Amino acid sequence: MKPEFFLRAYGRPILHAAALGALLFGGGCANQGGGMSGGMGALTIENITKIATIGQKAMESQHEVTEAEEVQMGAGIASHLLGAAPLVADAEMQRYVNRVGRWLASQTERANLKWHFGVIDDADINAFTTPGGYVLITKGLFYKLRNESELAGVLAHEIAHVVQRHHLKAISKNSGKEALGGLLQLLADNRGNYDSQRIANALKGASEVFIRGLDKEDEFEADRMGVVIAARAGYTPYGLVGVLQTLAATGSNAPTLALMTKTHPLPSARLDMLEAAMGDKLDNLDKRVSDVPRFAKFRK
Amino acid sequence: MKSVIGLLLLIGVAAQAAEMGTVVRAVELKQKPFIDAPKVMDLQEKTTVEIVLRQEAWVQVKSKDGKTGWIKMLSLRFGSGQAAAGDQVGGLLGAVSVFNTGSSGNTTTGGVKGLTEEQIRNATTNSKELAKMEANAVSSDDAAKFAKAGKLSPGKVEYLPPKS
Repeated sequence: MKPEFFLRAYGRPILHAAALGALLFGGGCANQGGGMSGGMGALTIENITKIATIGQKAMESQHEVTEAEEVQMGAGIASHLLGAAPLVADAEMQRYVNRVGRWLASQTERANLKWHFGVIDDADINAFTTPGGYVLITKGLFYKLRNESELAGVLAHEIAHVVQRHHLKAISKNSGKEALGGLLQLLADNRGNYDSQRIANALKGASEVFIRGLDKEDEFEADRMGVVIAARAGYTPYGLVGVLQTLAATGSNAPTLALMTKTHPLPSARLDMLEAAMGDKLDNLDKRVSDVPRFAKFRK
Repeated sequence: MKSVIGLLLLIGVAAQAAEMGTVVRAVELKQKPFIDAPKVMDLQEKTTVEIVLRQEAWVQVKSKDGKTGWIKMLSLRFGSGQAAAGDQVGGLLGAVSVFNTGSSGNTTTGGVKGLTEEQIRNATTNSKELAKMEANAVSSDDAAKFAKAGKLSPGKVEYLPPKS
């Protein structure tokens, strides 16, 4: 079951009420596209007030963020992360990572997003993904990779987070709906200007997700989806497995893994879960690629 | 004291030189990377092996007595979070049991707060770098050409449920 987010281009305050109206009064199933607008007729001020009190639970599980809003927020958070560590100044490497990433993303249900990838100048081993398709991996992680299929495994895991909107869900949970709504409003009012003090502060709050981490189950799900996305793209699905083995061998006490360890399940647990899910299922796929010679050019 | 530090350094170097793994359960060491390939020998659970080569789902390994063969990649484990695995599987200390079967509650145990955490907290937005990142984006057509050049052929594969 995928998380339920509704991508609709309505104004937010009305939208919340409308979605709840549909849920509580309209009888429309929100999973089916037409259900929500059908519920609007049942809305009166009285009902909205009622919804606000009894609908709190439903509110928490429903996130009506449009794709445009998601991308705008993701760009802002990426800007914040890039303030912590800039891109590695190697245009060829950046283009290479964008091509691998874009090809992987093309195999997913969000192929039409405008995807962005980057390698940041940080010696720690980690990767950061923001809502809307901004994926950053550290050069510390990049230089640990053995081949292109391992890069694909890492990027596919991050892409899966975007496909499932895991970070959006976590940010909403961490900051609360009100704060998320406030941030989206601020961003909408200051289109393209992420450097104003108020926005920078709001983005700082949202960026806490990278310090707290996601729900463990979301990480396991991204692993399971990541190996499949890599396989769909023509890579061996075992690239991600190789990376997790590298992380396990590095040891969770390694200083370069401090934040990764804090925010992710242990690599050994992730390998156990992947083994349970994969079995032999992905072993006999035709012509899967482990490496491409072009990868060697970017190794340290 | 000095010699202890020296020994620790030595272990660190040894562990770096050869990548070691521990067999998660009793498996057959195969002559070739196929399920029905002939057996070289049996490997007992928790046997430490040296990694020689990786090939998709399979890893070529060398046993302590020098026998080489293939086992499934996911039959290998490299550590728990209890201590740096590189310190454990190097052979000099013996293969300490290093299994973690995914027990809950370990997600946020990392005690050392890395510099990066503070950097993230204290960062201010950098629109110039964001613009650079956005300019680096490639089109799906460009990516498709790149895939073709790498002999990557796309295929339909279904997502996996948690347990197969």
